[in-house]
Amino acid sequence: MNENLFSSFITPTMMGLPIVILIIMFPTLLFPTPTRLINNRLVSAQQWLAQLILKQMMMMHSPKGRTWALMLISLIMFIGSTNLLGLLPHSFTPTTQLSMNLGMAIPLWAGAVITGFRYKTKASLAHFLPQGTPVPLIPMLVIIETISLFIQPMALAVRLTANITAGHLLMHLIGSAALALISISPTTALITFIILILLTILEFAVALIQAYVFTLLVSLYLHDNT
Amino acid sequence: MPQLDTSTWLVTIIAMILTLFVLIQLKFHKYSYPLSPAPKTFKSTSFPTPWETKWTKIYSPLLLPQQ
Repeated sequence: MNENLFSSFITPTMMGLPIVILIIMFPTLLFPTPTRLINNRLVSAQQWLAQLILKQMMMMHSPKGRTWALMLISLIMFIGSTNLLGLLPHSFTPTTQLSMNLGMAIPLWAGAVITGFRYKTKASLAHFLPQGTPVPLIPMLVIIETISLFIQPMALAVRLTANITAGHLLMHLIGSAALALISISPTTALITFIILILLTILEFAVALIQAYVFTLLVSLYLHDNT
Repeated sequence: MPQLDTSTWLVTIIAMILTLFVLIQLKFHKYSYPLSPAPKTFKSTSFPTPWETKWTKIYSPLLLPQQ
């Protein structure tokens, strides 16, 4: 049962070729490049969405932080589209892989922190000690703040992985439960099916929310450091 | 848990870096948001000389000194 349950999370390779590369690159096909002055509906809709997200996200940043606008909009679109594509049946979701999420979280967080250290060294170091702490508590508090700083990228990666993986696992389990219950008691199977539908709606929301949360937190770390 | 099998981590990370930092950014880099076209109001750059700001009787053609 263990092997069967987690089999959708194994990185896909076909006869030794890593087709996971093609799967990760697939969402880029869904965003056509605008080539005209007035574009078709799909491109115009995506441009409108990108402008909406950009205005909301970059409003709180200084001009230095706004140089990250392209990175952040790419991040939220990539994670959002990858999560939504993963809701299709029998598809592989790259964001369930801890490797990919760590690879996204660590460089972005490190970039924000190193930017902070380079340009505002005193202010970045000051983050380690909140204002108004009593003098005897200072060493312990510095240690706690350091740990909380270094756990930020780990939390980013594990949060995304765990949320998407758990959602997919739940859908798999409840779906197979509904299927098994049809021959035993159709009413219970119907109830389980309704639960599955509600869960799918939740998963749509989670897909988008997780993308938003990831990007928002990176944006927050950036704001602290620019 | 298959996510913890580190043999595939390198391929996944390299594919993700390529996609996120190159491919997707090349797509979004091309988005442009031009301002809507609107007519510009012109302000004249030449200023009228003091005797041209007021119309005076002497400029009417029949009142000019006759040749």
